[in-house]
Amino acid sequence: MSDAPALRRRFTAGLALAVAAGLGGSWAAMRGEWVNQRDDLALRRGAVTAMALDQLVGRAGGTGEPLRAALAAWQAEQPAGTEARVVRLSGARLEASTAKVDVGDQAAPRRLARSSPEDKVLYDRGQRLRGAVEGNREGGAVKPEVEVERLAGGRMRLAGPLEEDGAVVGLVQVDLAPAPARRPPAPWPMLAVAGGLLVLFWFLAPRLGGRAWAHGLLAGALFLGGLLALGAHDIRRLERDHREAQRELSDHAREVRAGTAKLLAARGLAAAPALDAGRWDVDRMRRPRGLLDERGELDLARAEAEVRKARGDAVGAVVAAALLGLLGLALVGSGLLWRFGRALVVHRQAYRYIAPAMLGTLVLVFFPFIYGIALSFTSSNIYNTSAPLPELWVGLRNYWTILSDFGIARRGADGALIWNYLNFYWTFLFTVIWTVTNVTFGVTFGLLLALVLNTRGLAFRPVYRVLLILPWAMPNYITALIWKGMFHRQFGVVNQVLAMVGIEPISWFDTPFTSFLTAFATNAWLSFPFMMVVSLGALQSIPADLYEAARVDGATRWQQFTAITLPSLKPALVPAVILSVVWTFNMFNIIFLVTGGEPNGATEILITQAYKFAFQKYQYGYAAAYATIIFGILLVYGNVQNRVTRATEGV
Amino acid sequence: MAGAREEKVPHGLLHAFLALVVLYTVYPVLWVITIAFSGKQSLAIADLPAEPGFLDRLRAVTPWPAQWSVANFVSVFGDQPFARWVLNSLVVAVATTLVGVFLSCTAAYAFSRFKFPGRRAGMMAFLVSQMFPGVLTLIPLYIIIVQWLGLGSTRLGLIIVYATTSIPFSVWMLKGYFDTIPRELEEAAIIEGAGPGMIFWRIVLPLALPAIAITALFSFMTAWNEFILAATFMDQEEMYTAPVALRFFVGGFQQQWGYFAAGSIVVSIPVVVLFLYLQKYLVSGLTAGSVKG
Repeated sequence: MSDAPALRRRFTAGLALAVAAGLGGSWAAMRGEWVNQRDDLALRRGAVTAMALDQLVGRAGGTGEPLRAALAAWQAEQPAGTEARVVRLSGARLEASTAKVDVGDQAAPRRLARSSPEDKVLYDRGQRLRGAVEGNREGGAVKPEVEVERLAGGRMRLAGPLEEDGAVVGLVQVDLAPAPARRPPAPWPMLAVAGGLLVLFWFLAPRLGGRAWAHGLLAGALFLGGLLALGAHDIRRLERDHREAQRELSDHAREVRAGTAKLLAARGLAAAPALDAGRWDVDRMRRPRGLLDERGELDLARAEAEVRKARGDAVGAVVAAALLGLLGLALVGSGLLWRFGRALVVHRQAYRYIAPAMLGTLVLVFFPFIYGIALSFTSSNIYNTSAPLPELWVGLRNYWTILSDFGIARRGADGALIWNYLNFYWTFLFTVIWTVTNVTFGVTFGLLLALVLNTRGLAFRPVYRVLLILPWAMPNYITALIWKGMFHRQFGVVNQVLAMVGIEPISWFDTPFTSFLTAFATNAWLSFPFMMVVSLGALQSIPADLYEAARVDGATRWQQFTAITLPSLKPALVPAVILSVVWTFNMFNIIFLVTGGEPNGATEILITQAYKFAFQKYQYGYAAAYATIIFGILLVYGNVQNRVTRATEGV
Repeated sequence: MAGAREEKVPHGLLHAFLALVVLYTVYPVLWVITIAFSGKQSLAIADLPAEPGFLDRLRAVTPWPAQWSVANFVSVFGDQPFARWVLNSLVVAVATTLVGVFLSCTAAYAFSRFKFPGRRAGMMAFLVSQMFPGVLTLIPLYIIIVQWLGLGSTRLGLIIVYATTSIPFSVWMLKGYFDTIPRELEEAAIIEGAGPGMIFWRIVLPLALPAIAITALFSFMTAWNEFILAATFMDQEEMYTAPVALRFFVGGFQQQWGYFAAGSIVVSIPVVVLFLYLQKYLVSGLTAGSVKG
């Protein structure tokens, strides 16, 4: 393994892999960052243009001939390829347009034609923007108030709402000429460095003799040196480009501001209040980004913060690339990868048989599990599932929110306790009560029935057995729905039976206790057969001579039960109890379908609560943290249970 | 036999006790049959007069329809798209079983017959995966299947998820059985010149048929009865599976108890029969580890 030529070959291969992953990965990340930057700049320039036009349209009255004249004057100042349209929602009118297609009988002003697909898109977009603005005002910014569409040939279309007295009355849409193209950073310097490193290593390696660690050290040093040099260069370049982009944006904003002010003056439109360029550089929710002040000058602190953030991202990418590369180098250099590859080849038959099943479970069982745990550290919700997780990272905040809230109950104005059923500890307490009562009942009742059924010479035993197993055989969601029906206040059978003995009908799902009883009755019905079957099987395997001997010794029946029956049942009952604790703890269907958490989530168990956070409130991150806590509780339970069992077995 | 200690308890008393318990277990089943054959959508077995007497009330809880009718069965399949929903369930369950069992067979065979690096780790991984809480994996599964792959409201999405999640349990069941098949048969076949593929298909699989059948039946039942994933993934009414459809009849504002009852009977009968036949395997499978320990 350690002769020099082999080492040289192996570590050169390892270095090649490291260089490909590290330098290549780092370069790709930088290039991606560069493209994003250009994209972002184009978008922000567009936003400034669009928002400025929006303001101009507003000051021109937003309608009629003055608007059309103002728009025409605006168009005259724009570069070729830029055009704008103004739509008013009431009456579905294209109020003004400088678009090339809107000429002749299509010229503004006109009604938008329902039959024309383009017009329909325009009108729908206006409605959507109005909905978004109104929705965001009420419930926080969640829907975009500026829509962006990429058109063919690098052109971009931006649409924002047109507002009058705080109400959205239409939209202003601008099509922008493509920004002048720039050459993206070329890969040649990276390739040159990569090749140089490999050649250098190839020629230096023979001086190292047969020492593997020296090879590893040299290859690692070369790789890190190359990556650092290249990374530092790329990051400097990225920063320079970023600053340049900011300046470009500021120049553009000042230009637009001056142009708009001139237009306003020329057309005799209101010049006050002064135009605020800071409110033109906005994100998709029309929130100012704070980079520009009202005259369009850069806010230096803010600009520096943006650059710092970009640098932080880039440094992160380089570090990740370095780790990846070193990992590759270590895997190949140490021969692990080689041995792994050999194992794959030698045992290829076994792996071929296993691969599909393993791959399936990896992707749809293990990956979701890990992804779920990762989600629990984020603020992921239905609106941002496509964003990469690191952007949504909130650390332990979800866990803290869940676990630090001890406000189970508070005093109402009249001094009565008001329970907070959404509190984690309430739900946890309820889940524990739910589990303990159900399992206790299941075990006692199941064991009792098994003892009765085990009576020698009892007639109809097989018939009883089948009838008593029936609840277990029924699909449990059907069981749950049946019992929900039977507990119906007006028509349910349970209230009818109570009426026979003169009890007033009960609204079962109105108080936590009665609601619990419904779920308990249902779960008791379906869970005792399992315990019964397990106990029965174990009872039948107890040799009869044991009792014989005990009777000869004069043991009472209770003594026989505690000294023979219970200990013989233990090996079968203990795992059955453990299983049924976990089942009951996670008995989703019964709670979800019978009580549905009524009243007000009082009878929710942890698992249904987590489900509701995820699929009724769409707080994926929060729900994932909730579910991870459930997993933690079960792990702790499993551990404690294991120790207790082992300890009692030792006695 | 533990019979010795019960000798003094009269059997009549035991029968009375058992009859009471049987009443408790059978009543909901009779109730659902009654509603199903009542021909009405109402929850009530019988309409109560304005001033009900004791006998009226007794009539209202006796699980016997006022009038026998199969109208609910006819219209749940005729007026409601229940046939389609059952078909969805059937397709999903059968496909899940085929895919899941096939993949499990090959994997279990390799785990049982070959020695290779990662064998123990692989089996342990399958075992550990059984402890993952469903709701925790449900959220990412929803994101993967519905939002990334766009397979929401499709049978394929459900099949993929059901089949893969059933693999670990099936592999453990099948591996246990493969281990009991004597190797001599395979060795003889090798001497005769049979390749590994041939041995797997022609010798091992036929011998393991009973175990495969049972694994397949469990896998089928699990998919047939699954509710949470189906309720989460299947948004469109036409793609409901039977469990989601049954809840649809009586959940929320709908109160079509007749349809629900008729549908429940149709959906339950196959699984109840299967279960009663299979329960001895299930119990031994669930408690096997304990008895040895």
